[in-house]
Amino acid sequence: MISEQDVGGVHIKYLYHCPRQLWLFARGFRPEATSATVQLGEAVHDTSYRRAHPVDLGSARLDDLDGNLWVHETKSSSRPSPADEAQAIHYCYRLRLVGVDTQGAILRYPKTRRTQRMPYEPDWDERARTDIANVRTTVAQPLSPPRPARTRCRGCSYFDYCWSQ
Amino acid sequence: MPTAARTYWLTTSCRIRRKDQSLLIERDHGEHVRIPITDVRDLIACKPVDVNTSVISLLNQHHINVHLLGYYGDYTGSLTAADTATSGETVIAQVALATDPERAMPIARDIVRATAFNVRRIIDRTLLKAPYTVLKNNTEDAPDAASLMGIEGNFRRSAWEVLDTKLPDWLQLHGRSRRPPKNAGNAFISYVNGIVYARTVTALRLTPLHTGIAFLHSTMERQRHSLALDMAEMFKPMFSERLLLRMASRNQLKPHHFDVDSNQAMLSDTGRKLVVAAVRDEFATTVNHRELKRPVAYDELLYLEALKVTRACLEGDTYKPFRIWW
Repeated sequence: MISEQDVGGVHIKYLYHCPRQLWLFARGFRPEATSATVQLGEAVHDTSYRRAHPVDLGSARLDDLDGNLWVHETKSSSRPSPADEAQAIHYCYRLRLVGVDTQGAILRYPKTRRTQRMPYEPDWDERARTDIANVRTTVAQPLSPPRPARTRCRGCSYFDYCWSQ
Repeated sequence: MPTAARTYWLTTSCRIRRKDQSLLIERDHGEHVRIPITDVRDLIACKPVDVNTSVISLLNQHHINVHLLGYYGDYTGSLTAADTATSGETVIAQVALATDPERAMPIARDIVRATAFNVRRIIDRTLLKAPYTVLKNNTEDAPDAASLMGIEGNFRRSAWEVLDTKLPDWLQLHGRSRRPPKNAGNAFISYVNGIVYARTVTALRLTPLHTGIAFLHSTMERQRHSLALDMAEMFKPMFSERLLLRMASRNQLKPHHFDVDSNQAMLSDTGRKLVVAAVRDEFATTVNHRELKRPVAYDELLYLEALKVTRACLEGDTYKPFRIWW
């Protein structure tokens, strides 16, 4: 359904957050534009680290790549999550594919003014490949994955879709 | 609908200009108004409006539709933004659902029943009990969508007769007439129906569905948004008939709110402003949603309904059309 090159950062994030969200997203249903949470995230993006230069890798788009080849990723949430990590790893993998030897990733949380440094580790490429494979199998499923527990859906732009009957 | 942005109603003729990233509304009489583009969800033009290409490109960037209401207040068309939300996969699923009579007919039947349920709920439960039972029985073995609409028409006729008994003489419908409406009551209902239809189009454009592929109304006929016709059906009584009854019983509507000729009627300028304000406030009314467990505005119900149809198409859920539950 989607090729390896088409898997981007958002796919990886949704894979960790909620497979159902990923399934719907891949089918072209994208209610994010109307979500206040997403608008907030965009605003955080626009107002922090304004000297950053986004790097476009086609399907993936990372926030910044500095002179020492560290990948920078800005997050609007206040709490680090496994999805953030996986996303950064994915970007490093994608950069390595095009011949950029990244040092690692730096996750930035402007809301709490925390940063998390992740130096490159040898098993990252393998992890990135597994994630991509997982994305592709999730998307290829004919039936939508079930909803997670309602408490986990808070702030999700697909909430109205999944939970209204 | 689920955002901070809102609908803007243009009730006087004006020119829309672009001023950087905002809209500048220039009125002949009265002050100019600046509206930040991020605050706009859609525009409803009740009077003639001038726009130029720079405005249109700005509206397009932000996926904002402009709905146009005609001289008599009927819906005449929209300037729709590029169709970026529509997804191929969903549309294919929608077509499969709409073209399969086994699956589409139950949906069409449910829409007709839900509409009748809502009409009865708004107008009179006891007096419409018999026609409603008849409708329920007849829809059971209706062979196609056309006969369903015929059955609905019969029910509607008795509903309008009951409605007339609750209205003052000068507002009575004496049968529904459109294009142009023949009397004040019909003018009111046409006007509000047009607005509800326009808002439904906006709601549908936020989902990946195609607005032309419908279950009850014939698909893509005469360039109409047939799906919006289907979906507006359940909501029209909630706004048109209900507001007419309410505003009549509160004596808010006066003869000078209408321009009545021998054979046609329309809202006058003051009447249009009054009605638009009433509809706008009605759209903002909230009700507690049972599944979402939060207050939901009436116009958000249109969007939630569109999401339900999306779910029926994408995931094969059974679609239960909107019935007033409160």
